[in-house]
Amino acid sequence: MTKEKLIIKLKVIVKPYIQDEEAFKNLTEETDFINDLKINSANLVDVILDVEDEFEIEIDNDSMEKMLSVKAAIEIIEEKLSA
Amino acid sequence: MIGNDIVDLQLAKTQSNWQRKGFLEKQFTEEEQQTILNSKNPFLQVWLFWSMKEAAYKCYVQEHQKRFFAPKKFKCKILSNTEGIVQINSFNYSLKIILSDFYIHSLAVKNKNKKMVSALFFINKKSSQTEITNQYLLSYFSDEVKLHKNEVGVPFLYQQQKRLPVSISTSHHGDYGGFAFTLENEF
Repeated sequence: MTKEKLIIKLKVIVKPYIQDEEAFKNLTEETDFINDLKINSANLVDVILDVEDEFEIEIDNDSMEKMLSVKAAIEIIEEKLSA
Repeated sequence: MIGNDIVDLQLAKTQSNWQRKGFLEKQFTEEEQQTILNSKNPFLQVWLFWSMKEAAYKCYVQEHQKRFFAPKKFKCKILSNTEGIVQINSFNYSLKIILSDFYIHSLAVKNKNKKMVSALFFINKKSSQTEITNQYLLSYFSDEVKLHKNEVGVPFLYQQQKRLPVSISTSHHGDYGGFAFTLENEF
C-alpha cells in the first residue's frame, strides 16, 4: 500500500474523533493527533483499535506508546503490514 | 510537579465506549480491569482510573519532557474516596480525587506536602474551552503573566519573557474546566 493510500485510510479513521476541522483539512504526515487535531487523549485508544481493525494488525504496547502523530502511525502500520 | 485532569461524565458516556473490544485491555492493568469489572459502577471506575492516569502522566511529562501514550504503565491504587497513588516505573505520584455526579477531577503531585492551588469551574459551551481555562488560571496572577506551552505540551507561566518557577496544569472536558499550580518554587 502506498503512503498516500495509508494517509487516506487513516484520515477516515481519525475523522470521528477530531476537534479541529482546519487541522484535519490540512492533514499531512507532520500532523499531531493531540496537539493539532485536538483528539481527546481518551479517544486515542479508539484510533488505535480502529487502526487494528482496519489493517488487521496488532499494535503492541511499545508501538502504541509512539502513536501520537500521522507519521508515527504510518511507520507502525507499514512495519506491521510487512511483518 | 503537578498535573490535573477533568472528565465530564455526561460527555464521557457519548464520547467513548469503554465496553468496546480491546478498550480495557489496552489501557488498564490486569488488576485495574478486575476492579472495574467487579465494581458496582464500572463506567465510573473506568473514568476514575483514566483521570488518575492522565493527571499523573502530566506530572511525569513535566519532569521528563517526553510525550508518549502508555496508559497501562501508570498503575492506579485507590486509598480512599478522595485519595490514591499512581505508580510509573520507579516514580510515585499522590492523587487527590474530587468526585461528583457530573465530573471527576484528579490532581496529581509528586510531593504531597507542597502547597498548591486548584479550581474547577463550569464552562459555557459556546466559548473556547482552552481560552476560558487559561483565563481563569491567569486571573490568579498579575496582568503581565502569560501562559505558553513548550514543544512537548507542558505549560509554563512567563512574566516579561522570564519563566516563573512554579508548576502549572490545565484541563478541560465538556462543560468543565480546571487548573492547578504549586505555590512553592519548583524550578
